[in-house]
Amino acid sequence: MFSPQATATALGDTVRALDTIGRPLEAVVLLAAVVLAAVAVVPTLRSRLHVALAATTAVLIAGEAVLVWFHIRLWQICQVPDFTTGGIAGAFAVPLWIESEKLYVWALILALIALGMRRHRTEIRPLLALGVAALAAGAVLWSHPFTEPLPDFLAQYESYLSAWGSGVAAAMFGAYQAAEGSRLYFYNTWYMWVHPPLLFVSYGAFVTSFAATVLMIVRRRSSFEQTAYRWARLGYLPLTFGMLIGFPWAILAWGGESWWWSGKVNMSIMMWLLYTAYLHARLYLRRRGMWRVVAALAVLSFLALVLTYVTTYLVPGAHSVA
Amino acid sequence: MREPNPRSGWDHLLVMLTVTILGALGAQSLVGTMYAWWMYRTQPLWEQAGYDRFVSVMNLVAAPLVVALIVVMGLCVPKRLFTRTRLAAFSAIMVAASAAWSVATGDIAAGLTVYLVLAALIQLAVVVLTLAGARGLAYLSETRLAKVGSGFLHLGFILFAIVVVALQESRAMLPVFAVSAVLLTGGSALAFYARSSARAPLLDDIDD
Repeated sequence: MFSPQATATALGDTVRALDTIGRPLEAVVLLAAVVLAAVAVVPTLRSRLHVALAATTAVLIAGEAVLVWFHIRLWQICQVPDFTTGGIAGAFAVPLWIESEKLYVWALILALIALGMRRHRTEIRPLLALGVAALAAGAVLWSHPFTEPLPDFLAQYESYLSAWGSGVAAAMFGAYQAAEGSRLYFYNTWYMWVHPPLLFVSYGAFVTSFAATVLMIVRRRSSFEQTAYRWARLGYLPLTFGMLIGFPWAILAWGGESWWWSGKVNMSIMMWLLYTAYLHARLYLRRRGMWRVVAALAVLSFLALVLTYVTTYLVPGAHSVA
Repeated sequence: MREPNPRSGWDHLLVMLTVTILGALGAQSLVGTMYAWWMYRTQPLWEQAGYDRFVSVMNLVAAPLVVALIVVMGLCVPKRLFTRTRLAAFSAIMVAASAAWSVATGDIAAGLTVYLVLAALIQLAVVVLTLAGARGLAYLSETRLAKVGSGFLHLGFILFAIVVVALQESRAMLPVFAVSAVLLTGGSALAFYARSSARAPLLDDIDD
């Protein structure tokens, strides 16, 4: 038998447990980020970069394991009883890369790429390490994945529990409809479990490609261009597939809205167009002066990626939290 | 069928046209988003009062670019098969057929659909010929797998364009879309990873 009070108590205990584990963990992640940035920047410490990167990655993985535990607890606790039968309709399978956890996942993916990359690793790794440090510090200082977890989801579910506990049929029915709608058509959809991680993998690859492009521009060595291309094509595949599978979902979810021109969607399309243009232009890299066009498109594409991410928080509209 | 001439000026022109149109659409997206951001910040009621007009203007600006992109994409397809002269004639026929259909129906989307279906049929023939190992198809890619990938990729683009232009309300949307998604992604993977030029040094050094 579903009890709103017992569920609220269990949820509160879980959030507090996450806070207890996560508060020192956030401090460790921040410390690791600062040390990693220092090792990447100070030339005399550079020989320790691999160790610092491995240690930061280990810390990030430990944190991710804690978040996985938290999400499993949410799955066990956050159930939705059917309004008419009283039986359990289902539970929330909250994806591991939404709300307060986005930057953290991005930092982890980039750390794994930095750790695993081979070509030009001596030159590119310091830049990637700085990226990992910035993302990890940003996750801790801005998103607070452990101490302020999933604010929108928890607010919605707590409001649902409150309405269910009120015993007022109209309030219970409205809360049930809202909770079941977001469970079935947002949190638990296969799309939410596939689309965001594909994009984060592509973002990680594009950061690496950008680092190689910067080195190509600064040092004028074509081998960096090839490395940039290798990572860009690797990023382009999950980006393309991830965005494509969003298309039918967008038609269903935002049918009737002009979602094409909504800020986040618009910028995502721009990013994809620019990366497509970059990969197209590269076909003629051997033509005289073409490397400038290719380099410019590579830089523009990466700027578009950053803008796309930031737009989510700045420009209201479909696919936005502004 | 013409002899392969992968570095022809026509290929280069089409690629640069594609890059330019993609860049223009990208620039429009950037300017549009910045404008929307500014209006949201400065005019609290802009979404109710001005958003529809913003969408109309964006559609108006994008329409010729999208049409141009579709036309260029369509022109990229028969270039695999025909000589320059025949290509120009065939491209003119495709454009004329779609323009005539647009005028006859009073619907640009219907004309574009005709154009895209023609392009899809030709591209399907190109893919079949490539898979069969036919000689004389002109590709920038060197290896057969990369050529197949390029063929899939272009067919996927055309099918996706058909979904956007003609099938959004149709029951066929999801299956056609699924095929286009697989062709686009799988074709990209083949085109990227089966090409030998990625491994060879492209430039000794960059100093121009």
